[in-house]
Amino acid sequence: MSKFQAPEAFSPSSASWKLLPFRFERLNSHVLLTNMVGERVAVSESDFAQIADDGLPADSELVRRLRAAQIIMQPDEKAPLELLALKTRTRYRTLPESTGLHIFVVSLRCEHACPYCQVSRQSSDTDRFDMSTETARRALDLTFRSPSQSLKIEFQGGEPLLNFPLIREIVVEAERRNAQLGRDLSFVIATNLALLTDEVLDFCADHDIYISTSLDGPAELHNKNRPRPGRDSWERAVDGIRRVREALGADRVAALMTTTARSLDRVSDIVDCYVEQGLTEIFLRPLSPYGFAVKTKAYSAYGTDRWLAFYEEGLNYILELNRKGVGLTERFAAIILKKMLTNEVPRYVDLVSPSGIGIGALVYNYDGDVYASDEGRMLAEMGDETFRLGNVHTASYADIMLSDSLLQPLEESFAASAPMCSDCAFEPYCGSDPVYHYATTGDFVGRKPLSGFCRRNMGVFKLLIDKYETDPHARAVFLDWAGR
Amino acid sequence: MTEHQLTFDASMHSADAIQRAAYRLSDRLSCDLVAEGDTLRCTLHLPPESGDVPSVVADFRNEVLDQTLRERIRNETQEVRNLILALAFSNTGLVDASES
Repeated sequence: MSKFQAPEAFSPSSASWKLLPFRFERLNSHVLLTNMVGERVAVSESDFAQIADDGLPADSELVRRLRAAQIIMQPDEKAPLELLALKTRTRYRTLPESTGLHIFVVSLRCEHACPYCQVSRQSSDTDRFDMSTETARRALDLTFRSPSQSLKIEFQGGEPLLNFPLIREIVVEAERRNAQLGRDLSFVIATNLALLTDEVLDFCADHDIYISTSLDGPAELHNKNRPRPGRDSWERAVDGIRRVREALGADRVAALMTTTARSLDRVSDIVDCYVEQGLTEIFLRPLSPYGFAVKTKAYSAYGTDRWLAFYEEGLNYILELNRKGVGLTERFAAIILKKMLTNEVPRYVDLVSPSGIGIGALVYNYDGDVYASDEGRMLAEMGDETFRLGNVHTASYADIMLSDSLLQPLEESFAASAPMCSDCAFEPYCGSDPVYHYATTGDFVGRKPLSGFCRRNMGVFKLLIDKYETDPHARAVFLDWAGR
Repeated sequence: MTEHQLTFDASMHSADAIQRAAYRLSDRLSCDLVAEGDTLRCTLHLPPESGDVPSVVADFRNEVLDQTLRERIRNETQEVRNLILALAFSNTGLVDASES
């Protein structure tokens, strides 16, 4: 007798299919179905009509796909329920491990004068906007109170290298405390690299510090976007990238670009600049509605649809480069594809629900004020302290994590229960971003049909799915990006 | 502002489905909904920037159909959804057993 049953034993016993929870969205050429955890099936309109009319046969190619994605099951089956439960638990497994990212604003000073600055930097001739040692130590107390096994400390500004002595102190002190605690501790300096010195590089090498910088594209575009004395921001940035790569390794530096109105017609030039500098990733980012970006009207200089056209052109160009053997990853797409195609949960705070504010990241401002996110801090610099959770000198960890300023926006913005999001097939890939919606509409949820956040994300989701379903080359590249 | 009247059979469509459809299209129209016996009367208000009126109205009708289908799926799967969530979060420590 065979150890295995014949294939017929696994065939459905009847055509009486039972639906499992799923959501759907009509796209241009097909209908997208996603199950409770975001696993998806794209079907034709006629196939979708079969599902809607309870007209599925006992067996067919469509039935097998729907069954594999746990969108339908036989009435007496248990395995699909257990699998969905397991996957749901996996999806939320990181929630009890808050907070992984701790942002230290060691100085609000900056020697750049970018009109799109989202943090409302201060001029660099005064140390009134520097974090003190005492504030930093109290912020470290809170950092190590987080239950997360993985702790990333990110130094931001202004320009954090203007207060490099404090960065040294914080790194050394954090490592000293962690010697006994054994957390997975890592450091990032978010710097424009204009003030990079050999001393900084040596310290980064000794303490395995990662560098994140800004590169907006070719020299004239970057220097117009990012003015500084000497008009040499681009020259300093690319020289800094080269020096970091040489001193720390090619994988120890990444760059971010910000899209201004000047960037919109130049996406291929911007991408080429990244390739020329030996960078293997680019993040095509829109402007956010905070800080000087609002005051100088840089934020309102272009709409979401124009940014989406820019993004699509850039993505097509990057895919073409990959076809020619140039390995370049578009970071925003890679984060979304990881959510679509794997069971990993990227810790990108803009694309998680519950929102990443507080539970994904905490921000310690130079004056000791604690914010639920970097954008919450940016809003406070504009005079609105809605997302201020307390001050390191007076608030306990419990005060901060249980404050109404954190819990109320978290609860209200939870996408699975937000209007329209709760029915949206893309919800498992999306986030809730209460800070964006508060900044643009005055409430934490916003009206999704009018939300730039919703329109932008939906546009990118549809673009990625359409390419994945119709372009074999894009599919291969996307699978590679998702697996990184 | 252009107005357009639609009526829906209340035995075939719920007010909730129509309201959800109106919300989805609230960047292009606003809607008054009145229950009159066995029908739901819907007055759509379309601002000039909505574009082609027949096309927006057709989109609204289709969205009501989709929302009705979503409602059916929600109702049919609510029990199994709760079962899956209960299975998912049992023994995780996330729910305090003394609270249940």
